[in-house]
Amino acid sequence: MTKTADIKPYLRLERYPTIWCAGCGNGQVVGAFLRAISTLDWDPKKVVVVSGIGCSSRASGYLNFNTMHTTHGRPLPFATGIKLANPELHVVVMAGDGDTTAIGGNHFIHAARRNIGITMIVFNNGTYGMTGGQCSPMTGHACKATTAPYGNLDTPFDICKLAEAAGATFVGRGITYAPVKLESLITEALKHKGFSVIDAVTQCPTYYGRLNKMGSPADMLTWQKEHVISLEKAASLPKHVIQDKIVTGVFVKDLRPEYTTLYRRLHEQCGEDDCHD
Amino acid sequence: MNILIGGAAGQGMDTIAYLLGKALVREGYGVLTAKDYMSRVRGGHNFTKLRVESKTPFAPAEEIDILIALNEETYEIHRESVVTAGRIIFDSDMFALPEVEKRGVPVPLQTLAKEAGGKIMSNTVAVGAALSLMNTSTLQADELLREMFDEKTAAQNSAALAAGLKNVERDSCFSMPPATNTGKHLFLAGNEALGLSALASGCNFLSAYPMTPATGIMAYMAGKQDQLDIVVEQAEDEISAINMVLGASYAGARVMTCTSGGGFSLMVEGLSLAGMTETPVVIIIGMRPGPATGLPTRTEQGDLDFALHAGHGEFPRAILCATVLEDAFYRLNKAFDLAEKYQIPVLFLSDQNFGDTARSIEPYDFTNLRYNRHLVNVENLERPYLRYRYSRDGISPRALPGQFPGETVLSDSDEHDENGNIIENAVTRKNMMDKRLQKMVPLADEMDEPIIYGHDSGNILLLGWGSTYGALREAVDILQDEGLKVTLLQFTDIWPLPVAAVNKLLPQAKVSFCVENNATGQFAGLLRRETGLSTDHKVLKYDGRPFLAKEIIREVKKHV
Ligand SMILES: Cc1ncc(C[n+]2csc(CCOP(=O)(O)OP(=O)(O)O)c2C)c(N)n1
Ligand code: SF4
Repeated sequence: MTKTADIKPYLRLERYPTIWCAGCGNGQVVGAFLRAISTLDWDPKKVVVVSGIGCSSRASGYLNFNTMHTTHGRPLPFATGIKLANPELHVVVMAGDGDTTAIGGNHFIHAARRNIGITMIVFNNGTYGMTGGQCSPMTGHACKATTAPYGNLDTPFDICKLAEAAGATFVGRGITYAPVKLESLITEALKHKGFSVIDAVTQCPTYYGRLNKMGSPADMLTWQKEHVISLEKAASLPKHVIQDKIVTGVFVKDLRPEYTTLYRRLHEQCGEDDCHD
Repeated sequence: MNILIGGAAGQGMDTIAYLLGKALVREGYGVLTAKDYMSRVRGGHNFTKLRVESKTPFAPAEEIDILIALNEETYEIHRESVVTAGRIIFDSDMFALPEVEKRGVPVPLQTLAKEAGGKIMSNTVAVGAALSLMNTSTLQADELLREMFDEKTAAQNSAALAAGLKNVERDSCFSMPPATNTGKHLFLAGNEALGLSALASGCNFLSAYPMTPATGIMAYMAGKQDQLDIVVEQAEDEISAINMVLGASYAGARVMTCTSGGGFSLMVEGLSLAGMTETPVVIIIGMRPGPATGLPTRTEQGDLDFALHAGHGEFPRAILCATVLEDAFYRLNKAFDLAEKYQIPVLFLSDQNFGDTARSIEPYDFTNLRYNRHLVNVENLERPYLRYRYSRDGISPRALPGQFPGETVLSDSDEHDENGNIIENAVTRKNMMDKRLQKMVPLADEMDEPIIYGHDSGNILLLGWGSTYGALREAVDILQDEGLKVTLLQFTDIWPLPVAAVNKLLPQAKVSFCVENNATGQFAGLLRRETGLSTDHKVLKYDGRPFLAKEIIREVKKHV
């Protein structure tokens, strides 16, 4: 971020104030996204933001693009339909960690496998904000949630590893404590041709913070600061040291044919070879 | 005496309602609280209505005696509902009321809370202020605080309570109705009653995915895992949840899942699997307005047709519903019994109106609960064991995997024979369909006739089902007080539809109404399909809010 970008034109200010709690990280992620997109001089009319259901998914309602607020867990198939129907559109998906890795987990790995040209921003707060602080597949082991009052038995996913293993060609992680880095990660992701995933680690002070006695929103950001470690630094450290850290950076940057491009090629080939038989 | 507590989401209206409500219950009053909230965690406008009577009320009232306004918006929205002699407690640290407003009772909630030990206790101050207006002591509230918090926090809250009490002049108090309850009543919300019923019914396996307004059931049961040997598993989605419970049921657990319409949509494939494999399961559908995400925190009875018809193929099912706390506890117990006796899915319809409304009620009688697993035992085991053995009533012997040495339990989603092996032949297919559907015959005999309230054969007949009971009952009371003869039939058991009472009373009524919280009159449709009868009028409400008695009365009066 060289100069402060004017992101106001991208917002439906008449829909303000947002529903988000004071200190919620959702606005920080949206801010980073808008600053990122403002550097790309894309025609806003050609941008579609698709979201699921959750606190974070309400983001689409405040953005001055084509938007679609879908059902819980389903933004990716919806976005896939958009992209396949009109590959000219820039398609961005915003959803919570629950939306993406629980109910929408299957769609997530398959979008990655297809390597379809969509940017997926996961608002990862480690809980279900909207419905009142239940467990998410991103809730840490032994952490508290209203549906895990005695501590979570599960172990969380690593969204980046999951995306990578499933075939995503751009994968990065940022945190709300470091919004400038988050912004440049998102910029790269938006520019990428193929399925790009940003694991945006954010804070839900109201539920996750309160249930896990993490203090104020500022305390939660300080916690991020104390636990963050860059991918480069992490590479030289033993596993047990980085176990409880948030490793940030770009994990995957690959070139593999994007899915709608493959479709186009197929159609061209078919036209040539008359492959209808 | 009616109190409305309003503010933005996150301001703790629930805490005030709970503390105030429970304290009044212990004083011996009959109390009801009903929640109206937006689909957001912060901001917006939410409120809880609290009604206090000698005997426990069945529905919230409209007019307000005491308004507790935690923000200015609450005052703006509700001031016209406050009676002339009413009082408006407001946080004078935050805002002032207009000069012309004579009903205001300023209480510096935050200042007083800070003095008592912390701003967070401003809600407790408000409770103290309200108790003072009601000329009620803080004894019970104090006791509750001691039960809720550690010694230090309780003492601070108690100081906050006293500050609220002191700040408000007692001589401006209202005359309270006499407190005639024992003070030993339970004070619980619909979702808690359902969770409690499930546990009391021996349900030891719940898998679900959070979805308003059913999440409270799961949260309630999850909180009991330290006392009971039960599994409460949050699945990754509703598809997984229903299949987990089916697996657990096959393995021998007594199972339930709970969701709302959107989640139930995802369960439908599993529902059909339960139908084919004859696997017992109880599914609570906490209805909210659809389609799609709809109004997540509001109420509707829009999923009856869906529950009746969900699932591909034809298979038996039962549908029961939650009308009122006093009944729903036993009704859900019945759902467990029917599910295992007939080896079918039982759908239990609730809604936000039922789930989020709390009332004071007499303690439940646990000796009235049924508990029979309906499994084969060594004495009546016929060898070879055939999971889907033909029988006169269509019910086959249910054994559990591992229950009998040398016997295995086969279950198949494909059409199968008596042993559970896949078949394709026409004769077996037809026999198996007949066997399964045969269960509907004895099942129909298990259905309870609707609750009858009011006149036993009035010339005005009202039909309702589920959570509309409270408003309908109040409408009946008011109309009867005006000299009309009104009968209410409130259905608790919906499928197979019990028709005796309605067949008798509907034709002889002079004018009849079917009252439903939906747009298309789904119950009226069911009634016509099953009996050929129709009510003269439908009274439908589908704005996401529960019925008020006066709305029903207005419709009735148009036609009498
Ligand atoms: C099929 C279905 N099941 C459940 C729900 C209820 N629901 C709404 S949002 C949500 C979870 C929100 O968590 P997350 O996706 O992590 O987003 P956050 O609110 O934390 O931003 C759930 C379970 C739903 N809307 N639809
Ligand atoms: S509940 Fe949590 S995620 Fe939702 S708006 Fe509040 S802080 Fe943000």
